[in-house]
Amino acid sequence: MQSRHRIAALSLAALIATLPAAADELRIGNGGEPLTLDPHRYNLNLEEKILADLFEGLTAHDADGRVVAGAAESWSTSADGLVWTFRLREDARWSDGEPVTAADFVYSFQRLLAPRTAASLAYFLYAIDGAQAVNAGTAPLDRLAVRAVNAHTLEIRLAQPFPFFDERLIYPTGFPMPKHVVEELGDAWTKPGNMVSNGAFTLADWQPQGFVRLAKNPHFRRASTVALEAVTYFPTADRNAAYNRYRNGELDVIGDFPPGEIGWLRRKMPDHLHLAPLLSIMYLVFNVTVPPFDDERVRRALALALDRELITGRVLQSGEIPSASFVPPMVANYRSAVTPMPQDQDAARALLAEAGYDADSPLELTLRYIAGPDNKKVHVAIAAMWKAVGVATQLHHAELNAHFAALRQGEFQVAQAGWFGENNPEHYLELLMSATGDVNYGRFADADVDALMNRAKQTAALQERLTLLRRAEVAALARHPVVPLYAVTIRSLVRPRITGWRANPRNTHPARYLGIRAE
Amino acid sequence: MVRYLLRRLAFALIALWAVVSVTFVLVRAAPGGPFDGERRLPPAVEANLLSAYHLDEPLVGQYFRYLGMLAQADLGPSFRQKDFSVNELVARGLPISLTVGGLALLLALALGIGAGTFAALARDGPRDRLLMVLATLALAFPPIVVAPALVAAFAVSLGWFPAGGYDSAQHFVLPVIALALPYAAAFTRLMRGSVAETLARPHVRSARAKGMPTRRIVLRHVLPSALMPVVSYAGPVAAALLAGSMVVEEVFSLPGLGRYFVQGALNRDYTLVTGTVIVYAALVLAFNLLADLCYARLDPRVRHA
Amino acid sequence: MREALLGTALARTCCAMLAGVVLAAVIGPSLSPWALDAVDWDAIDAAPTAAHWFGTDGVGRDLLTRTLGGARVSLVIAVAATLVSCLIGIPWGATAGYLGGAVDQAMMRVVDGLYALPFILLVILLVALFGRNIFLLFIALGAVSWLDLARIVRGQTLVAKNEAYVEAARALGATTPGIVLRHIVPNVIGPALVYATLTIPGVVIAESFISFLGLGVQEPQTSWGVLIADGTRAMRSAPWQLLFPASLLAATLFACNVLGDRLRDAVDAGAGGSKSSVR
Repeated sequence: MQSRHRIAALSLAALIATLPAAADELRIGNGGEPLTLDPHRYNLNLEEKILADLFEGLTAHDADGRVVAGAAESWSTSADGLVWTFRLREDARWSDGEPVTAADFVYSFQRLLAPRTAASLAYFLYAIDGAQAVNAGTAPLDRLAVRAVNAHTLEIRLAQPFPFFDERLIYPTGFPMPKHVVEELGDAWTKPGNMVSNGAFTLADWQPQGFVRLAKNPHFRRASTVALEAVTYFPTADRNAAYNRYRNGELDVIGDFPPGEIGWLRRKMPDHLHLAPLLSIMYLVFNVTVPPFDDERVRRALALALDRELITGRVLQSGEIPSASFVPPMVANYRSAVTPMPQDQDAARALLAEAGYDADSPLELTLRYIAGPDNKKVHVAIAAMWKAVGVATQLHHAELNAHFAALRQGEFQVAQAGWFGENNPEHYLELLMSATGDVNYGRFADADVDALMNRAKQTAALQERLTLLRRAEVAALARHPVVPLYAVTIRSLVRPRITGWRANPRNTHPARYLGIRAE
Repeated sequence: MVRYLLRRLAFALIALWAVVSVTFVLVRAAPGGPFDGERRLPPAVEANLLSAYHLDEPLVGQYFRYLGMLAQADLGPSFRQKDFSVNELVARGLPISLTVGGLALLLALALGIGAGTFAALARDGPRDRLLMVLATLALAFPPIVVAPALVAAFAVSLGWFPAGGYDSAQHFVLPVIALALPYAAAFTRLMRGSVAETLARPHVRSARAKGMPTRRIVLRHVLPSALMPVVSYAGPVAAALLAGSMVVEEVFSLPGLGRYFVQGALNRDYTLVTGTVIVYAALVLAFNLLADLCYARLDPRVRHA
Repeated sequence: MREALLGTALARTCCAMLAGVVLAAVIGPSLSPWALDAVDWDAIDAAPTAAHWFGTDGVGRDLLTRTLGGARVSLVIAVAATLVSCLIGIPWGATAGYLGGAVDQAMMRVVDGLYALPFILLVILLVALFGRNIFLLFIALGAVSWLDLARIVRGQTLVAKNEAYVEAARALGATTPGIVLRHIVPNVIGPALVYATLTIPGVVIAESFISFLGLGVQEPQTSWGVLIADGTRAMRSAPWQLLFPASLLAATLFACNVLGDRLRDAVDAGAGGSKSSVR
């Protein structure tokens, strides 16, 4: 049914807002409902996508997902790697015509870290000197080392050298805030009609669980290069429903579809299909504080029993990249030194026997995973592989919140986990440091690994830093605190008439680079 | 009558209070809180969040704070949908749920009353048998089977209707049919029985013997009393429709109350869950009251009970 | 009663169908060459073949085995929930009916009141919050489906309590709980159980709704609702994953409803036509 073809609404249905369809409107199935459009309160990837069309941080992604200059036209770093100085663009304007200044950034960074904002991702900017103390409420806001040198120069001092800081500023947590609007309207500033933004688009309408509609921002610094008049994000939580709507012509882009369709799509709609490995790592984590998972032999045996290629090739079938490394294979600059360990069921059985498990007294364990069709398949397959070496696996699935609550409290034996986001090996390897706290779900602690990681974090020279990280990874994985499995594949369908769509490992597709070809 | 109404309203308020309290205790007793996610929350951040939503206060204090807000018709802020209050969310979800649920109930009533009366008039004939087999069949196809089948046939294959969304009247056709079907069948069976019973009453039989046209007999003598069981059944059906409407909202991507409820429960959004439960309970209680009032109008004996 | 039950060809067919489903659910999984969780790596998402009569699911598990295993879980939940509803509904109705007066009034008002509440919400909430536990599921479902039963048992009790043997027991000084348990309950339990079976299709449907919303039992266990929900997601590419479980569910519900009508007619004829339930 063409959504342009509308008949008169029923009297009751008329209570519901209707969507006018525009010719240059891009309709995106976004996979779920944004829980907020306040860049400081966001938590979800799908929110990040909408926010990245509304705002522009100091740095930004280009169409290929590379880090490029955003609201800052250039920046420099001091020799010790601690002081970053950003030169802002003088022609940058908010969508109400006001200039974007360094003061807007200072205001935003302070608001993000102010305890009252209760930003759950405030720690993204903990690299800034003073950030942690400000966020904990033990230091005043002006202790934060972010300073407006003049209207168009921003200076940020870090607590430790952090060569990946330019990438860290891409997230909504680093976006500027229109101080003049937020101070006047308070929490209501994100409502349609109130929100003022500095990105390529502005917020035109938002019907929760219905759609979020963005309209082109005429004040955007490169407005003349933006082809789309409007972008509408639909909260398509059910990928099957999203797929049906795509096939019916109701959506132009969807970020996932039922995996069983892939064969048919490859044959019939190859020009719609985009498969791109995401910068991510899915893995199993062992709780090394509870027996028998404190026994390295048991962990090694369970790792040896798995066949990653079977999981990616037969079960998932969308070109997921198997990974023996805990750092996603497409992280730039990083080549893991971990040697892959192919499936070896005999060795696994032997190790289990050594640890005291055999056919008469088999190892019994509970494997926890996050509810969802793909997760279910993968973990059913893993249980089957463990069954083949005599391990009895009980499966337990729960929603994301409950799952990670249990993990963070250490209430599990073996569990699914995943980490994604940055083009920075530390982002992943940090999870294996004892100082990391409860997001090191398995409570793995190794003095050598900690020492290597800490040395890396204090090293400003990139190559030297990467070498230390590589050594830390090898030392950690030799003890099997986790079993890296694969990098997720993003399965998108994009109508061929959409221009400018470039597959990339960040799965970022800013709408300012997209267009619709006339048919 | 006024006293009766007042008593019913008082009872409804007590029932609502019980529902609120049970839900309040349940959501907070469950493992996992609204701010648990896969990423780490430093203690400072978590403390900030808890205090922003008053979750660091003692439970009893939270409970009375919540009751106080309810007394002012304020369902509170949503813990997860941070930019909206629960009132705002309900205001958006309710019209959609009411549209689907209300139309489904109307469709079920219309189909059920029509088909049931028709079957009773043709009792034990081939048309009656066919209708009853169809009704029993329809009862065997709950929305979880019918809704995906309708999408497959009429949206995906034929393209007559949209597969999801709520932009126009067309979007509501398939969900309403999927939801209404089993209840239409239940009403048909009920109506057939009660019409048959009424037809056997002496005054109807004598009217028939006098040669009064069937249409007039049905409208004037049969329907008023034959409708009574249907009306008293409509109350429980309204409650039963809820579960079906959640399935239908899921299949057709309709942003109704049901989706808020399920999402809120899964994400531990305390206020959203409690808020949607209150609204649902109030709706069902109100509908039951309405059904009872209709019943009283149809049956003068109940009016002063 | 037997004649009324098996009177028509339709009823006989339904009886055979239901018996077949129950039998298949009980012994089918153990006859199948595939275990419930056995993965056939070479037949993932495979259409029906000689090796897999119903095809396989997305991980290569035999769908026939899983459909029958799912039948087992769905039916067990239905029967267990019905038993729970008996445990609450029969004593409740018997007590109200036997004591009569103000107590009866109060107890039946409670039942009326509970009718007006959207209980399914609480069931969903319980399962969503406390995890997908099969015991939780049937206790919760049972705890919400005892209302009809309580009404019927009360009606039966009103008749039974004036029987001579009850009056005799009372005259001999038996206590009220003793009389209710020893004399009233055994006498009303027959018709009550017959009515209780009528709640089975309702519970099957409720369970399937809950499973469909993603709150069903844990893997590798499955149920019809879980299978249908999964099948819906593979509807285009693997229609057999929806077709088989959905047909079996529909056939079972159809048979239950046809037989339920017969059963009800038979009991109503026997009990002099008390018509109080419409479910």
